[in-house]
Amino acid sequence: MRTVKLSPRAAFSISVEAECITPDRFAPLSLSEIGAQPVWLGNRVMHLSELFMVEGDDCTATAGDVVIQLMGDFSRVKRVGEGMSAGSIEAWGSVGMHAGNNMKGGLFAISGNADDWLAREMRGGKIIVRGDAGNYVGSGYRGEKCGMRGGEIEISGRVGAFLGEHLCGGSIRVQGDAGDFPGAANQGGSIFIGGSTYLPGAEMSKGTITVKGEAKVLPSYQRTEVVELEGEAYQKYAGDLVDGGKGELFVRAL
Amino acid sequence: MKMIIKGGIVYDPANGIFGEEMDLCIDQGRVIEQAGGEVIDARGLLVMPGGVDAHSHIAGKKVNTGRIMRPDDSRLGTEPRSGVCRPSTGYTVPNCYAMGYRYARLGYTTAFEAATPILEARHTHEELAEIPIIDKGALTLFGNNWQVMECVRDKDIPKLAAYVAWGLRSARGYGVKIVNPGGGEAWGFGANVKSHRDNVPGFDVTPAEIIRGLAEANEMLRLPHSIHIHFNNLGKPGNYTTALETLELLKDIKPGRMRQVVHVAHMQFSAYGGTSWRDFESKAPAIADYFNTHSHATMDMGQLLFGSATTMTADAPLEYGNARLTHNKWSNHDIELEESSGVVPMIYFRKMLVNAVQWAIGLELALLVRDPWKTLMTTDHPNGSPFVNYPEVITLLMSRAKREAEMATLHEQLPNRTTLPVIEREMDWTEIAIMTRAAPARILGLTDKGHLGVGADGDVSIYSIRPEDVDAARDHALVKKALSSALYTIKGGVVVAKEGRILAAPEGRTYWVDATVPDADHDRLMPEIEDKFAKYYSVQLSNYAVQDAYLPSSRVIRAGLSVEPAKSARTLAEVA
Amino acid sequence: MTESVMIKDAVCSFCGCLCDDINVEVAEGKIQRVRHACRLGSSKIMGHSRMQTPMIRKDGVLQPASFDEAYRRAAEILLAAKKPLLYGWASTSCEAQKKGVLLAEEVGGVIDTTATVCHGPSVIGIEEKGLPGATLGQVKNRADTIVFWGCNPVEAHPRHSLRYSSNSCGRFTEQGRAGRKIVVVDVRETRTAKNADKFVRIDPGCDYEVISALRMLVAGKGDVIVDTVGGALKADLAALAEMLKAARFGAVFFGLGITHSKGRYKNIDNALSLVADLNQHTKFVIMPMRGHYNVGGAGQVLAWSSGYPMSVDYARGAPYFNPGETAACDLLGRADTDAALIVAADPVSNFPRETAAALSKIPVIQIDPYENPTTLLSDVVIPCAIAGVEVEGTAYRMDGLALRLRKMVDSSLPGDEQIIAEIIKNIRELRQKAEGGA
Repeated sequence: MRTVKLSPRAAFSISVEAECITPDRFAPLSLSEIGAQPVWLGNRVMHLSELFMVEGDDCTATAGDVVIQLMGDFSRVKRVGEGMSAGSIEAWGSVGMHAGNNMKGGLFAISGNADDWLAREMRGGKIIVRGDAGNYVGSGYRGEKCGMRGGEIEISGRVGAFLGEHLCGGSIRVQGDAGDFPGAANQGGSIFIGGSTYLPGAEMSKGTITVKGEAKVLPSYQRTEVVELEGEAYQKYAGDLVDGGKGELFVRAL
Repeated sequence: MKMIIKGGIVYDPANGIFGEEMDLCIDQGRVIEQAGGEVIDARGLLVMPGGVDAHSHIAGKKVNTGRIMRPDDSRLGTEPRSGVCRPSTGYTVPNCYAMGYRYARLGYTTAFEAATPILEARHTHEELAEIPIIDKGALTLFGNNWQVMECVRDKDIPKLAAYVAWGLRSARGYGVKIVNPGGGEAWGFGANVKSHRDNVPGFDVTPAEIIRGLAEANEMLRLPHSIHIHFNNLGKPGNYTTALETLELLKDIKPGRMRQVVHVAHMQFSAYGGTSWRDFESKAPAIADYFNTHSHATMDMGQLLFGSATTMTADAPLEYGNARLTHNKWSNHDIELEESSGVVPMIYFRKMLVNAVQWAIGLELALLVRDPWKTLMTTDHPNGSPFVNYPEVITLLMSRAKREAEMATLHEQLPNRTTLPVIEREMDWTEIAIMTRAAPARILGLTDKGHLGVGADGDVSIYSIRPEDVDAARDHALVKKALSSALYTIKGGVVVAKEGRILAAPEGRTYWVDATVPDADHDRLMPEIEDKFAKYYSVQLSNYAVQDAYLPSSRVIRAGLSVEPAKSARTLAEVA
Repeated sequence: MTESVMIKDAVCSFCGCLCDDINVEVAEGKIQRVRHACRLGSSKIMGHSRMQTPMIRKDGVLQPASFDEAYRRAAEILLAAKKPLLYGWASTSCEAQKKGVLLAEEVGGVIDTTATVCHGPSVIGIEEKGLPGATLGQVKNRADTIVFWGCNPVEAHPRHSLRYSSNSCGRFTEQGRAGRKIVVVDVRETRTAKNADKFVRIDPGCDYEVISALRMLVAGKGDVIVDTVGGALKADLAALAEMLKAARFGAVFFGLGITHSKGRYKNIDNALSLVADLNQHTKFVIMPMRGHYNVGGAGQVLAWSSGYPMSVDYARGAPYFNPGETAACDLLGRADTDAALIVAADPVSNFPRETAAALSKIPVIQIDPYENPTTLLSDVVIPCAIAGVEVEGTAYRMDGLALRLRKMVDSSLPGDEQIIAEIIKNIRELRQKAEGGA
């Protein structure tokens, strides 16, 4: 097990892009080589060590054996964990936008909040957020038909709008409320929302959305039967019929 | 600036040079007999005139709509600014800068926009002016134009010619483009034409009449290029009959210059047999047969390659059909009094039989037509594939082994639908040089392009391939690599690209045609045009034409009355 | 004593209608009279009191400065910034917008247009579904059914109905208004609604559901729909669906009522799909009612230059597009920009209050003919000549048609294009100095 700890040296006036912070990238590098990795502060390229204190085990390892610990406030640091395929990242505070973009494997645990576009276009691996997450959790890029294709996302708090937009595979569980239009244009995968939401599954063609709280349901969904899930009664809907969709929507029957 | 390119193995088919070791000299942007100056060592290497792309969608509303609706494409092929280069983005819909740099890297120095409606030509010229390095031009759409259809209905070819001249001048266009004639107007109310003999609703003409009328007008004006046509029924199984019948319509037209009477755009999409997608098959042999036995027509391939594409065409009903078939996003744009168009992203799959057959058809056409002067190598960028993939097409034409390796990865029913597996022909460098340089220039009527005779533009491409040592059929991978990134691309005597790096990004020129007609015809025409602006157009006549400001660097070709008749026994009738 | 000159067929540079039949009487180097334009356009062309001198903020107060000083100060501010925002662009020419893109590349900044507070959501919708559209002349010549959804052209685009839509006449629409059915869908009965044949009132924020219900009705799947959707009766929506399907040529025009209500770009996304669905039954087109006269042009210029029509981030050298992250409101709302250049826009007036407040915390350069609330926050103010009145240039109409703006009168002030070119020149000089010198 190789542990690398990063902590910001100061508060960031402009957001930082640090897609080099992944177990894959750090694994074969020494601590000073890690410190020399490029990060962007707006249009300025800098070394990682200019913005962050880099500490930990100074030995190479395989990506799967690397644990990166983010100590402090990373809420203005974007693209952490982008494309990671193994190992783990533990964020002891919050993280910025695009955390876990294109993630393929490994574990990313966030004890604070995650900003917008958490796990955009995720392929595999697991992300856990103890706080809240922003808009576009587990979604795709503009104009693409498919966003997230695999992996698991678990969020203890609430999330913003467009949860899992263009979901094609994988699963997302949110304990709290979700903002407007979760599961829009979905073609697969599963979404669970512990709280309430608004107009889930807009233009969904395949996939499953379960809402344990309340939901305003689209007029283009058809009520089918009441089913029991985990000991609770849920109204099942078929839709989104506007485009001949064959998705399943479950909303707790009260 | 003087330059001498030493010792290259030069292919200049237009001047009868088929792989001769020779020096090339350039001074003040033109090929000359002798020069000193900068020495470029090309000993043993493949040297050709700069590539000429006669049919590509590179600028204007359709292209920009493709960009706007496809951020998913724009995010591919991204390169930051560096050296003389501004940033590049996009794969099937590159930004303007990428367009120029990528053509230059391929060794191409001229590219023509295939289709522009007159009303939106200003936009096309704004984009053309932003494309660095290459010389360019834009063909102007006439096939669904109200004024054209009325002249054709009235059988008034001199008035039609006056309109074509006026339209080309207003659009600063280069030639007459016809796309799904009559169908674009029918699409104004959501309909289409099913054959070139249908009546165009509301106009009392048939597509066949429109095509013949425009061909006659084109020749009366002695335009440098012939009519350039995208057939009715494009993309439909069984449409090869439409292609042959349309070509037959034109075989007795006398050309006004020493060239073809009709150039067919992306022939592949109109060489289809079968009655549905289920029994879909290639009719390339029948089409090739026609081209082999007739001399009035030329074509470009419109080769399809597997992977991503963006279809964009003035054949709007076709695009609507594409979108419904593939459940895709769809943009449509109908242009008042003039045309229609559509844009739909597309992916072509190896394991999809229809796509595999389409892929085979383009190659069949080129390989079965004996005379390479009749067949241009294109992919109808970005409809069949982006132009950066031209080296893939070229190596497929040059190597049977490569074709066989490809076919082994495709749907197993392919051999039942196409003759490609049994075609042995492998093109050589002379034929490639003809199909990508000499022929497109001649077909377009660009006398200074596509060849390296004295006086030609100093546009040269040098590739890291030794044609005398390499077996292009066997070592097709090497050939493809070499063609993907010219060792040198020289434009007007300036090295613009070297080993994939852009060294200079000078402004290219825009060609357009200024044709003169008799005052009498012009005077008969104008009241009808004024009437249309008063009643139907949503803009004023005085704001319609493209102003000088949009052509910072142009080359005007004269036509019409100011041009001598073709020096041959087949001169045309007196101009009225 | 100069005689008056009549400039005919000038292009109005106020709204997205880009009317090009304006006659302007010029005498003694001034505009005397404007004919054919609506009051909004007239007012723009006639103009009012202008800024004449550049200003630079010194010791907290805006003080007069020379143009050269202002260009230099602007360049210094932009070069020092790590993430400068270049915002506005909608009310100036394409030629100026092109220079703006070049500037964004040079300083590694973010360039965004007023679409961010207007039809930005429409752009995002188009990225999902495409845009089934046409030029305005198609509507004029063919449309027998027109729907205005969430827009009020009688007030916001006064000449639209006569030149292009409800009251226009064309080849297949000789009866004009009498031969048309006009439908308005809105949350309240606007003046446009009062002139319509059918008004469908829906509850605020319910556009998405109403469109979904309509799509179901159009597709013959109305059985699933309940009696009321979004405040509208199913029966009314069913009648509307039949009316739309019975059209020979239908056109939907939409505006901020649908782009900025709950659902935002999903509303447009769904409306685009509704029109695509309708094309299975008859001919239909859809068009956004662009507000500023050249926001369309800004989108076209940005798209052909960068691949994206708005919110383009050049900070890392290559264009990056992600509205929600790279739009002006996003950057200001998160205090993620450290300098702003505002051209041909007034964000302090038009942005949500917090984002406008963010402008007060960073250096701001304003290029504008007129003093406005943004001026009060600016650190460098550069007055400019007005494109379309004092400077020629190109603009794109709401349907994407490009027209050339005239120069009607002279101005001693430089145009936007020239000003930005000068700033770029200063930036290059400053950069060379920094790299060359010790």
